[in-house]
Amino acid sequence: MNAPLATPTVKGKVTVTGFGLSYDTLEGPVEAVTDAAITVNPGEFVSIIGPSGCGKSTLLNAVAGFLKPTKGQVAVDGEPVEGPSADRGMVFQQYSLFPWKTVRQNVEFGLKMKGVDRSKREQSARTLLGLAGLLAFENQYPDSLSGGMKQRVGIIRALATGPKVLLLDEPFGALDAQTRVIMQQILNNMWQRLKTSVLFVTHDIDEAIFLSDRVYCMTARPGTIKAEIKIPLERPRQQSMMMSSEFLALRRGLMSLIREESLKAIGGELNDVALQGLNIELHGQSLADVI
Amino acid sequence: MDRAALKRSEAAPSAASSSEPAAVEPAPAATLDRSASAYALRWLALHRNELRAIAIGAASLALFILSWHLLTKYRVSFHVRFINVPSPEMVLESLAKTTRDSKFLMHVGLSCRRIFFGFVIAAVIAVPLGLVMGRFRLIREFVFPVSEVLRPIPAIAWVPMSIMLWPSNEESIIFITFLGSFFPILLNTLHGMTMVDPILVRASQSLGAREASVFKEVYFPATLPYVFTGLTVGMGVAWVSLIAAEMISGQFGIGYFTWEAYSLVQYADIALGMICIGVLGLASSMLIRGLGRLVMPWSKA
Repeated sequence: MNAPLATPTVKGKVTVTGFGLSYDTLEGPVEAVTDAAITVNPGEFVSIIGPSGCGKSTLLNAVAGFLKPTKGQVAVDGEPVEGPSADRGMVFQQYSLFPWKTVRQNVEFGLKMKGVDRSKREQSARTLLGLAGLLAFENQYPDSLSGGMKQRVGIIRALATGPKVLLLDEPFGALDAQTRVIMQQILNNMWQRLKTSVLFVTHDIDEAIFLSDRVYCMTARPGTIKAEIKIPLERPRQQSMMMSSEFLALRRGLMSLIREESLKAIGGELNDVALQGLNIELHGQSLADVI
Repeated sequence: MDRAALKRSEAAPSAASSSEPAAVEPAPAATLDRSASAYALRWLALHRNELRAIAIGAASLALFILSWHLLTKYRVSFHVRFINVPSPEMVLESLAKTTRDSKFLMHVGLSCRRIFFGFVIAAVIAVPLGLVMGRFRLIREFVFPVSEVLRPIPAIAWVPMSIMLWPSNEESIIFITFLGSFFPILLNTLHGMTMVDPILVRASQSLGAREASVFKEVYFPATLPYVFTGLTVGMGVAWVSLIAAEMISGQFGIGYFTWEAYSLVQYADIALGMICIGVLGLASSMLIRGLGRLVMPWSKA
C-alpha cells in the first residue's frame, strides 16, 4: 500500500480569478472565455464540464501555462503562472507519449529534466509503472500499447515529478466506452491513494460526477462558469454507485444544465419544442436523451 | 529425424484411441512438435510472404537476363537496335578481365570516395542547418529564399562553375556530389521540423523541459525519420550528380570508365560500368536504410 514514491505528494491550491481570454481576428477580438473564476483546494478533485467549444480546455491550458489570459489571474499556491512547468503535470487527450522513448523512459522524462540521477529515476519509474500495472511493458515502445495503457503511462508520467496539481484534458475522450469506465476506476483509485490536487476537463457527465469532489459547469461560448456543484458521494467510490439514486439525481441536475448550454452552442433556433417535433422522425427515440 | 519419428509413433495410438474426437481435441500448445523438421515447416509457413517475394524477385531478374541474352544473341533490330549491344556473357567476361587488373577497382574506389566525402559533408551541413531553420524563424526566412533559387539548378549545370571555383578537379567533382545530396537532405529535415507534433512539445514543457532539452528530446528525434528519408533521396541524387560530373570532367571514376569505354569502342565495358553504378547505388541506399533502423529502433519503417 505504501510504495515509496519519487516525490511525496504535494497538494497545491489553484486559483483562477476574473479569467478572460480572447483571440484577435479581422472582425476584432473574439472572446473564448470571459470572467471565469475557479479554485482547486489542496487535495481536491475538481472537474470542469461544458458543451464543446465552451473554452474549458482553454481554461485548463491557461492553468498549464500554455496560454496567457488576456484578463484576470491564474495562480498556484499564490504564485502567478508564467509558463509551463513540472509543477503542473498535464495529461492530454491525444496520449502524447514520446514514440522514440520506451514506456519507462517516458515515465522517467520529468525526473530526467529535474536532473535526478539514472538509478534513482529508474527506481521511481518502476514503482509508478507497478502502480499502473504496466511493469511488464517498461521496455516496450508506446506504439505497441493499447489506448488505455498509453493513457495510464501518460498519467503516471505526469505524476512522476510530484506536481502540485494534475491537469487532465479530456484524457479518456479517445478511448472506447468500456475502456473509459475502467480508466475512470483506475484514476479514481490512484487519486484515492495519492490525494493530489486534480483539475479535470471532460464533457462526460457520469465521468465528472464519479471522479470529482466538485464540478464546475460552463456556459456556451463565450464560456464562463454557470454553476458549481458539490458531489457529496462517499469515498472510496465504486462503479456500482453510478446506479444509486443519489448519483442519478446529480446526473439529472447536471444534464439539464448542460443541455441548455449545448442547445445554445448548436444554434439559437433550436429549442426543446423544436426537439419534440423532431422526435417523430426519430421513431420514438427521444433526441433530447441523445443529447 | 529420429525424434520426429518417435513423436509420430507416440501420437499415433492416442489418436487411434480417441473415439470421441471433439471431446479429447488436444490443445495445440500441449502437442507442439519440437522436432527440427517441424520447426523448419513452421518457419516456412511464417515466412511464406518473404520467401515468395524473394522467389518472384529472382524469377524477374532471371527473365531480364534471359531476354537480354536472347535480344543480343539474335541481334534483334526493331527500331531499337541490339546489334552492337554486348550480351550478358560478354559483360561477365569483361568483369572477370577487369577485376584482374587493378585499374577498374581503382575507378570504383575513387567514385566511392567521392560519394563518401560529398555526401558526408552535405549531411553534416544540411541536417543541422535544417534543424536550426525549423526551430528559428529568422534563420529560416533568411536562408530559405537562397536555397529555393539554387535548388532547381541540376548538379550537372554546376560543372563549369565548379571547375572555375575549385583549384583541383577532385574537389570540383566532390563539390558537385555535395550539391546533389545537399538539398534533398536540407528540405526533408526542414519538413520534418514543421511536422513535429506540437502536443509532444507541450508535453515535454509541462514535464519541465527547457529550450535546449525540448530541442534534443523532442524536435530532434521527431525529425529523424524525415532526416533519413532525406539521406536516402540525397544518396540517390549524389550518384546521379557524381556520374554526370565524372563523365564530363573526370579522369577517373566509374562514370569516366563508362564514358571511356564508349570512346574506345569497348561495348561490354559500357554495360559493366552501368551495372556497377546500379549495384553501388543500391548498396549505398541499403546502407543508409540499415543505419536508420539502427538509430531509430522505435520506427517500423
